[in-house]
Amino acid sequence: MKGKVSLVLLAVFLSMGLLFAQGAKEPASSGPVEITFWSLFTGGDGEFFDAMVKEYNESQNKVVMKNDTVKFDNYYTKLTTALAAGNAPDVIVVHQGNMLPYVQNGSLLALNDYVDAEVLADFQEAPLSGCISDGKIYSLPLDVHPIVMYYNKDLMAQAGITKVPQTAQEFIDASLAVQKATGKWGLAIDNTTGVYKAYTLTRLFMSMLAQQGGSLLNADNTKANFSNAAGERALVWLQDLVHTYKVNPNELDYDAAMNVFKMGDAAFYFNGVWATGTLEQSGLNFGAAPLPGIMGDEPWAWAGSHTLAVPVQKNQDPRKVEAAVDFIEWMTGHGELWAKAGQIPTRKSVTEKAEFKALPYRADYAAAAAYALETPRTPAWEEIYGTMSDMLEEAVTKKLPAKQALANMEKKINGIIASY
Amino acid sequence: MAIPGNKDTRDGLLFSLPFLIVFVIFMIFPLVFGLIISFFNWNILGTPSFIGLENYFALFRDSKFYSSLWHTFEFVLMTTPALLLLGFAMALAVTGGSPLKGVMENVFFVPYIFSMTVVSTLWAWIMQKDFGIFNQLLVATGHGPVGWLTNEKMAMWSVALTTLWWTAGFNMVLFSAGIKQIPKEVYESAQIDGASWWQVVRKITVPLVAPTTVLCLILQVIASFNVFGQVYVMTGGGPYGTTRVLVQYIYETGFKYFKMGYSAAMSYILFLIILVISVVQYLLLGRKEEA
Amino acid sequence: MNGNTTVRRSLFRFLEVLCILVWLFPLFWLILTSLKAEGDVVTRTLSFWPKRLTFENYVKAFTSTEILRWMGNSIFISFVTMAVTLVVDAPMAYAFAKIRFPGKSILFWLVMAGMMIPFQVLIIPLYLQFNAMGLINSLASAIIPRLALPIGIFIMKQFYEGIPTALEEAAFIDGANRFTVFVRIILPLGKAAMATVMILSFINAWNDFLWPLIAINDTIKYTITVGIANFQGTHGTQYALIMAGAVIASIPQFIFYVFFRKNIIAGIASTGIKG
Repeated sequence: MKGKVSLVLLAVFLSMGLLFAQGAKEPASSGPVEITFWSLFTGGDGEFFDAMVKEYNESQNKVVMKNDTVKFDNYYTKLTTALAAGNAPDVIVVHQGNMLPYVQNGSLLALNDYVDAEVLADFQEAPLSGCISDGKIYSLPLDVHPIVMYYNKDLMAQAGITKVPQTAQEFIDASLAVQKATGKWGLAIDNTTGVYKAYTLTRLFMSMLAQQGGSLLNADNTKANFSNAAGERALVWLQDLVHTYKVNPNELDYDAAMNVFKMGDAAFYFNGVWATGTLEQSGLNFGAAPLPGIMGDEPWAWAGSHTLAVPVQKNQDPRKVEAAVDFIEWMTGHGELWAKAGQIPTRKSVTEKAEFKALPYRADYAAAAAYALETPRTPAWEEIYGTMSDMLEEAVTKKLPAKQALANMEKKINGIIASY
Repeated sequence: MAIPGNKDTRDGLLFSLPFLIVFVIFMIFPLVFGLIISFFNWNILGTPSFIGLENYFALFRDSKFYSSLWHTFEFVLMTTPALLLLGFAMALAVTGGSPLKGVMENVFFVPYIFSMTVVSTLWAWIMQKDFGIFNQLLVATGHGPVGWLTNEKMAMWSVALTTLWWTAGFNMVLFSAGIKQIPKEVYESAQIDGASWWQVVRKITVPLVAPTTVLCLILQVIASFNVFGQVYVMTGGGPYGTTRVLVQYIYETGFKYFKMGYSAAMSYILFLIILVISVVQYLLLGRKEEA
Repeated sequence: MNGNTTVRRSLFRFLEVLCILVWLFPLFWLILTSLKAEGDVVTRTLSFWPKRLTFENYVKAFTSTEILRWMGNSIFISFVTMAVTLVVDAPMAYAFAKIRFPGKSILFWLVMAGMMIPFQVLIIPLYLQFNAMGLINSLASAIIPRLALPIGIFIMKQFYEGIPTALEEAAFIDGANRFTVFVRIILPLGKAAMATVMILSFINAWNDFLWPLIAINDTIKYTITVGIANFQGTHGTQYALIMAGAVIASIPQFIFYVFFRKNIIAGIASTGIKG
């Protein structure tokens, strides 16, 4: 009896499986060119992005874009494997900072002959230049996403702070004032790894080096370049916030930092512009501004950029390449839609659009693009980035002596660069 | 065997064939391929260049390799005894006379059916420092928050605890199968002799399930050495790399940094370590089992 | 003495209930979190029970993703994997347990060694291999690498070794061949081991993540484990949604377990195999 029941159940399961599994037939390709895209956007970003792709498909009838999403964390694993086997889709998204290995190995198609000159001229120079190697355009920037400052207007008012802090000392003073008046945290800089790595530390550290005229790596990206007075000043400031002034929580992970600020428990918060969308939904009374020149007059800020590229295929179909470029042009040309996710558009015509200007906050930090700090162009970047984050996290959380910690980091980073 | 027209050799081959085909094509072949990769410098996109044993030499100079290997050992040492003991205790509970034994058997096993991702995400949330339920309960009862996953002294224990919850039920099933195989008469005669429950467990159950214990131990050590998913999801190897286990390092070098040769070389070293430990275990314990 | 036993018994029952509750708590928390509104999940202080329970996360999971299709894919993949694993592995286990053939012990150790290799090292070679075979982006690609299940072979072999050889010999004398003996005697007697291996192989296939992620490209062909990973936002965790996805993804496994669990217990009890 029991055997029969399980047999029936098995049959039901199997047929259900077949049903769902077999429903996946692709339509015959006649008429519009069907192209595929791999995206790494999930959560709120994914919703905005997928809506854009949908709008693109509805806006014309020559190209149909099919969008498959891979979790950001595993995206490059999958992309690189597929590229190696010549299996990549027609269009991909690549962070500007991750492009180099693909360019060096000839995985991306140079787009010089495909992109309209007029469109090209419409791009802002800085983000576009990040996509060009030896005069060849390997991708087009969809956005720029610098790290910016968010501040809680209510907490500032309660503490009687009228001016948004700018310098290292002002941040400390303002944070102490907030803490004294409200009992809340002054800052919420994440400094431990949770679901996400504590990249904010590395991003701030890089920004603060640049603000002092320094840089993480030397000019030709062959050696680390931060075990010096500038690096020390930046690290000590990060440590002091947590240990000396106790205005920033210790062992705070990325999600928690966001939540602490979102709930109104911290006055100042540094994160990429992507946080804007989430913060808007929370109903918090907050403001946004470009990252101030904490360590100097030039307010350099770490910035990433999502760029759209066309992989080299074994049999490159020119129709698909044209369709792909058409898609990329449309997407970058409708940056006001993508700006809903907080991102800064890269096309001059987009920043002029009324729809973009009508968005709150975005205009407040759009100026940050001028001081966007480009990721060092080295194939070792991914490993450097991860290692820096680990080591800065340790230095900040445990308050390691700055000089020695930086010397250790530099040694480690040099070893990594040498291994590529 | 005294069978007329013994066809053992032919039968053995025939019965092995389906498996062998799959095994050779999808296991041995990629394994050999992987071994070859470990002699190359290859970023997967470009052309591999042969560097002989350089990857293996580099690995012995890499402090991150040692620390990751040590973290793996830590995890093995934390989880293996606990998982065996708990699995055995659970098996005792579910094979005893309790009216709840059926409920317990299901409750203890059920976590095992959940995927690693589900279990780790859930526990990472439960143990989250600022908003997780564990710490909120602690704070509500007047204690300080514990950095379950963010304190370097705690993090690996927290991952081990999660693993314990997740997989102890599997060992329970193996142990309870072992316990159920012990003839009832053995217990009955012990009861007649007036042995206490504890004496029965110690003098009868433990020695008689020894083969199961060996099986569990060997399987558990292998599984623990290959730990990766829980750590990766729960701590990301943090705080600052203090829970980065070797498979995570292998994954990162291979699939994040695309040093395929180096990653493969580390995999083979890990493989060798597991192999040696398993063989030693088998020789030490397996012989007893056969005797 | 009698009173003493009663006290001890109650104490044991109490401890048992406590253990059960402790063990169930994470699952309770999983379900409760999935039923909270996203805004109620993260709170400053302890808030055990939310202001309101809602199914909005489930609605979102079902309406804004391909979750039903992912589930279908996973069910298909897991059942086929399970079935073919048995066809492939059970005869091998039997051969290891009962048949003398040259190279047996070397082969056995090779199989066991296969269990010790970190699967990560196989992924790139496998991918290139599957690509050459034109199997990438097919459901078959998710199934094939999981068919050789060393631990399954190990468990079945251990079990088959416990089946008295006399049973087989009797059949041989009656003129049966190996295959008949295997199908008529070994398989029915080895039901319990088979059920265990089935569960293991089903769970393995269902929970597999990295390989199907790399081998399957189309969102609609994803397995559920790969699919719900996308519930993790690029820049922030939505706990309630993730927990809802986790619950949905676990339901089929749960049903499967409930059914086959009975088979295992019945199997172990009925076959009467005693080591």
